[in-house]
Amino acid sequence: MEAVRFATLAMGTRFELVLLGEDVTPLRAIGEAALERIEETHRAFTRFDRSSLLAHLGRTAPALTPVDADQFALFADALYVTGRSGGCFDPALGSGALAAALILDPASRRVGLASANTALDFGAIAKGHAVDLAVAVLKEGGVAAAFVHGGTSSGFGLGAPSGQPGWRVGLGPSPGDPTLTLCNQGFSVAGVWSTRNGHRTRHTVNPRTGRTLRADRRVAVMGPSARLADAWSTAVLVAGARPSGLGGEWRVWRSGRSRQWTEMERTNP
Amino acid sequence: MSPLDRRDFLLQTGGSIAGMALVPDLASTGPVSLPEPKSIGVIGIGRQGRAILAELAKIDGAKVVAVCDTNPTRLKTGQERAIGAEGFADHAAMLDKRRDLDAVIVATPTHLHQTPVEDALAANKHVYCEAPLAHSVAAARAIAAAAEAKPGRVFSTGFQGRSNPIYQLARTFYRTDAFRDFIGGSAHFHRKTTWRFPTENWRLDPEVSTGLAGEIGAQQLDVIHWFRNQTPVAVAGTGSIALHKDGRTVADTVHAQLQFADGSVVSYEASLANSFGNQHEVLRGTNGTFSLSWTHGWMFKEVDATTLGWEVYALRQQFHQDEGIILIADATKLAAQGQLKAGIGLPYSPLYYALADFLRSVGFPNVPVACNAKEGLKATIVGITMNQAVVGRTTVAIAL
Repeated sequence: MEAVRFATLAMGTRFELVLLGEDVTPLRAIGEAALERIEETHRAFTRFDRSSLLAHLGRTAPALTPVDADQFALFADALYVTGRSGGCFDPALGSGALAAALILDPASRRVGLASANTALDFGAIAKGHAVDLAVAVLKEGGVAAAFVHGGTSSGFGLGAPSGQPGWRVGLGPSPGDPTLTLCNQGFSVAGVWSTRNGHRTRHTVNPRTGRTLRADRRVAVMGPSARLADAWSTAVLVAGARPSGLGGEWRVWRSGRSRQWTEMERTNP
Repeated sequence: MSPLDRRDFLLQTGGSIAGMALVPDLASTGPVSLPEPKSIGVIGIGRQGRAILAELAKIDGAKVVAVCDTNPTRLKTGQERAIGAEGFADHAAMLDKRRDLDAVIVATPTHLHQTPVEDALAANKHVYCEAPLAHSVAAARAIAAAAEAKPGRVFSTGFQGRSNPIYQLARTFYRTDAFRDFIGGSAHFHRKTTWRFPTENWRLDPEVSTGLAGEIGAQQLDVIHWFRNQTPVAVAGTGSIALHKDGRTVADTVHAQLQFADGSVVSYEASLANSFGNQHEVLRGTNGTFSLSWTHGWMFKEVDATTLGWEVYALRQQFHQDEGIILIADATKLAAQGQLKAGIGLPYSPLYYALADFLRSVGFPNVPVACNAKEGLKATIVGITMNQAVVGRTTVAIAL
């Protein structure tokens, strides 16, 4: 069994893929196709590049633009989590609620923005989305076991390494920190702190208040999709509790100032 | 008067006049709307075909009603991306059934362009053929001849530089004293990748591939042909497999020197073993230099060159010891709105502008084709000949 690693820079972070298989040459081709999907997703959903799909939607608002099924799924899931989380996750931060800012027409699979001034930030879902799309490319290419992550904060374990129940992801360096075992499951972690250019800052804004989150906490979410895990991890971080809209197929951990992780009970299994 | 006031004053008076004089009536950066909807069929739904579908979705009035690919998985992907499009495994069946098509876009592998292009032209369709035209000089000439035999149909080659608003802006300056006389140039393409596809690997098949020189280099060198209104007369090349020692025989790193009739030389380098610098063309003149990277562009002036009136409000960027003026399409309009900085970089991909130009030529009878069959043929032959020089590690005369 050979392991082949790939990496690319997208969405302000480093995506990494580890593919397991017998023949390195086809694995490289499939891995590179997966990297291209990640880069393509970055180009579509970045808010820092005026050639992105988001920028185009802003320029043509409120006209609708046809999008592919995967892109539509991202918009639809963002709307879904926004609603189910009571607004704790909301990419329309600063533009009002996402439901008012985003126009979705499922019949024609077209998307538009209500106003040219709408500022959408899909940073808390697009990384997971890119991971899911990369995994889909790997599956289509016949890869049975792989691990994909974006900046170590969102990822997916496809299959499992030989003789293992899944891909093991530790939530911290301490012996007591939980280890997630991912077999065809995604995960995402979120915290209030981030480090940029050597400076540690609080970066998560509560969409319901517009204020930066002050509480010192981290959350981890594990479930069937990296895209949804990404969005739900932000929602749980903001809510500080397991949202009632989060289905029973999801497992959630949190840690506070004590730095100790505890699993949050499933309230709606 | 504060510096800001002075800048605004210049914009509204002399500065804007100078700017307008130097940047006449350039193509808008978009978004593009067609005067009336056009029904389009796309043949070939590989990576390029998928990229084409994504860009067409952003052009108001471009309706993809049919997609075609011999591979069922790719065809399914095409239908998923172009909602409502009818799928075909055979382009002849598509042309036969969808008589309503206004235009056909051919994005098959390079060596499979000829038949669908000729059949689409025979069916009286407007045709956009991806670049390069073909893998052999004979096939490229046949495509160009078929296109020229249909003067009433638009035939466009996918050499994208000619449609790129930043490149169009640079070319406007190229023709002024801001650049003056061409002394030489270079182009490079660097990307660390195997260049393999999960399934068909035609780019690594020496029987049908024109290698990095033909597949990528032709696209970049066409920019230089277009700026200069001339093509090279000979090319010396060499190549090696620097990184991907996986049994391939197609070089992953190539170097070439293209010689022009006036004695000037353009050097070309492409590698799949290193990503630094990505994709770039540099043209050097006696008064200035252009550095172009497809979504961005800069002009570097010689210190003794005449000062241009609009420079007072130009945005600049430092590159080690050199200061580049950022080339911004629609600069005069954006500056008047106080939005100049927001104009850095293209708002759409270079592919978008190439497709939009093609569809504009289809929609408006008097809009010239950005890269017609004759120009596409020249660029294709230069690329094929450059590949021959690389493979043979020799010098080859370019016979147009």
